[in-house]
Amino acid sequence: MPNENPFQDPLRFERQVPECIVVIFGANGDLTRRKLIPALYRLAFDRRLSAGFAVVGISRTVVSDDQFRERMKEAVQKFSEDTQFDEGVWSAFASGLFYVAGDIGDPGLYSNLAARVKEIQEKRKTGGNVLFYLSTQPSQYAPAALGLGAAGLGKGSGWRRLVVEKPFGRNLETARELSDQLHQVFQERDVYRIDHYLGKETVQNILAFRFGNGIFEPLWNRRYVNHVQITAAESIGVEGRGAYYEEAGALADMIQNHLLQVMATIAMEPSASFRADSVRDERSKLLRSVRHMSNDEIRLNSVPGQYGPARIGGQEVPGYRQEPGVKPDSQTDTYAAVALCVENWRWAGVPFYLRSGKRLPKRVTEIAIQFNPAPLAIFDKNDGELSPNLLIVRIQPDEGISLKFLSKRPGSGMNLRPVSMDFNYGSSFGERSPSAYETLLLDAIIGDATLYTRQDMVEASWNVVEPIQNVWRETKFEFPNYAAGTWGPAAADEMLARRGHIWRKP
Amino acid sequence: MPTLSPEKILKELAELWVSEAKQGQDETATGVLRACTMTLVVVAEQTDDPQELGETLAALMPEHPARAIVIRLSGPGERALAERVYQQCWMPFGQRRQICCEQVEITSSDDALSDLPSVVLPLTVADLPVILWCRSARLFAMPEFTPLAALADKVVINSAAVADAPAVVARMLAAVDRGLVLGDLAWTRLTRWRNMLAQIFENRENLARLADVRRVNVTHTGEASNTSALFMGCWVRDAIGGNAQLSFAPGAWNTGSLPSPVLAVRLSGEGIDVELRREDDRMIVTVNGLSQCTNLPLATPYLLMREELGIVRRDPVFERTLASAARLQYPNGR
Repeated sequence: MPNENPFQDPLRFERQVPECIVVIFGANGDLTRRKLIPALYRLAFDRRLSAGFAVVGISRTVVSDDQFRERMKEAVQKFSEDTQFDEGVWSAFASGLFYVAGDIGDPGLYSNLAARVKEIQEKRKTGGNVLFYLSTQPSQYAPAALGLGAAGLGKGSGWRRLVVEKPFGRNLETARELSDQLHQVFQERDVYRIDHYLGKETVQNILAFRFGNGIFEPLWNRRYVNHVQITAAESIGVEGRGAYYEEAGALADMIQNHLLQVMATIAMEPSASFRADSVRDERSKLLRSVRHMSNDEIRLNSVPGQYGPARIGGQEVPGYRQEPGVKPDSQTDTYAAVALCVENWRWAGVPFYLRSGKRLPKRVTEIAIQFNPAPLAIFDKNDGELSPNLLIVRIQPDEGISLKFLSKRPGSGMNLRPVSMDFNYGSSFGERSPSAYETLLLDAIIGDATLYTRQDMVEASWNVVEPIQNVWRETKFEFPNYAAGTWGPAAADEMLARRGHIWRKP
Repeated sequence: MPTLSPEKILKELAELWVSEAKQGQDETATGVLRACTMTLVVVAEQTDDPQELGETLAALMPEHPARAIVIRLSGPGERALAERVYQQCWMPFGQRRQICCEQVEITSSDDALSDLPSVVLPLTVADLPVILWCRSARLFAMPEFTPLAALADKVVINSAAVADAPAVVARMLAAVDRGLVLGDLAWTRLTRWRNMLAQIFENRENLARLADVRRVNVTHTGEASNTSALFMGCWVRDAIGGNAQLSFAPGAWNTGSLPSPVLAVRLSGEGIDVELRREDDRMIVTVNGLSQCTNLPLATPYLLMREELGIVRRDPVFERTLASAARLQYPNGR
């Protein structure tokens, strides 16, 4: 038997996808309907899935395979924004959709699932490969993994992998506990902790930009970079998810995972290769290099915020404490800003400012790298200081990269003005970018963990965030401290002003 | 005799950008963004539908922004060259700034063909690849093709447009042997098919049975086998290892739209029966009785060129298949 597929043509073909069954726990949930099934349908539409590909949905509600297919069809029609619905593709895809009803705490569910997986495996020749996707409440991650293990589903004739959604624990201790429980059934290399930010095209493009070009990397250090700002702003409030948000907050919900991973991608050392573990080693190393702050330093270098009511565009917008499911004296942070320092030779002394908030003026996620001014101002000395060189990596919306620099204004005299050189991902390349979930699901099926978070990365992130959480928990803040529709609390501006910096208004 | 000045064309191109930028400032104050990743030289017959070609280039530009030089062959007649310069602009959805690419159109009589390289060379964008898309089957057979092709980093032709499949295969192989980096849209048309076949043999059980394949049958449109069908058959047989019997059979294309050169490919033997069959804009994949349907839009020139423009280097699988197809056509050499 040949070891290699002789029909492969890497120059023209996309990466080949092995046959498998994807088992989704929480099949009636929002994530499954809005993201997972539309992403899998799009992959089928693009001919990226194997012939025998199958999905088994699991949830408590008792429905038949056909009813599940009908629900998923509605979800695809409703939530596939840029994919046409094709009856032929759908009916082939739907023939691989199955459903098993049961409670995650009930051992009977897993024996039913095992029987169903065996039956599908034989019928659709899926080679024993199974990807388990936990799209459930975090409290059910461990019971689900242990249930799979007890039923013998953690091992089989093919590979078995487990995808876990955030949050990965509520702090370092619970993150470790969760990993220990998952490891009773799945080895770390088979645990895929999903952070959908890392699946975004522009975040991946950071690696191409930094390590595919020779001209930027020499500037990528403390000698030339003045500071870095990473912003993830949302214009919406908690949108009915008040009860969930009360337990999370902006620091844990956004900075602990998404923004620290983005920061790691921006600041990591070049990896020896583009293999998953090489890249993840460097990300992990960077996160471990973030300076641990004392409680006093935390008070100076972190700012929580909570939005109050305001009138935006003629409409009254409630404050966070007026949202359903939120305590009237809630101390939950809907805004978090932190100033971090990376203690390595490349970045020593360069502040990394991270902020994320709800009800900010607009939805934007971007990284701004501000460079030092020219060492000598031979023109008007204010020019360089008022308009520093900036490299902006926009993650959403309008993914792209802009470089701001000074140029001579036409006419006599040496008057300078800032100009922006833009690379817009969407307009420079007209091709549709895959959604983050398409990218990440495909990677998990192929077995490429580059864009997934490893246990040591999660722990390193909690090491950064948990001390801040602890200090915030001990403090009673005067919330609300920013009005909805503004760029956050004044204390966040003061935090930067102490270093002579100001927040960008993206 | 009418002649062309590349200097004048370049000046006109520069003026276009200035006027476009001024217009943008006056009306929207957002300006234009110039994008360029290559020089795309397109050679087409005067009879080639200008609207279809224009639409194809417009569709390609967002993904492969280029300076496009369209050369129209006016056929026999007095030695004559003419040009016009214009821009192709579009406003990306949801954006305020338009993106523009330059286009130069040159009309050339057959007698002036030998003058073309000296006009095209100064018009190419420095430091970026030059792609020659030769839509004229006639030019591909003419001696003037060689100096024009020598300017390009890659030449793309469509061998399906040539009625004599064996002759064009031989000509392509000769060009590749001379060192030309060649792409053929008749081969590009097969990518989806080949990808699907490769996907089937990612399955270890199927891969284990590959050596049992004894027959490869390719069903094609038209009475005689076309280059796409020829390539498909040779590629499959080469991948298997040459033990299978290769046959071609004509089939019927019932849809009124553009015909698909390959209608089906079947690999069969003891314990294995794989068939890929096109039905309208879908492909039905059947592996030992288990069928799956996937989306397979008919390959338009835009889709084919979009793929070819993404590969500016030698394609070893294509070159091997081309050599194999030539051997099949001329078992004793030509």
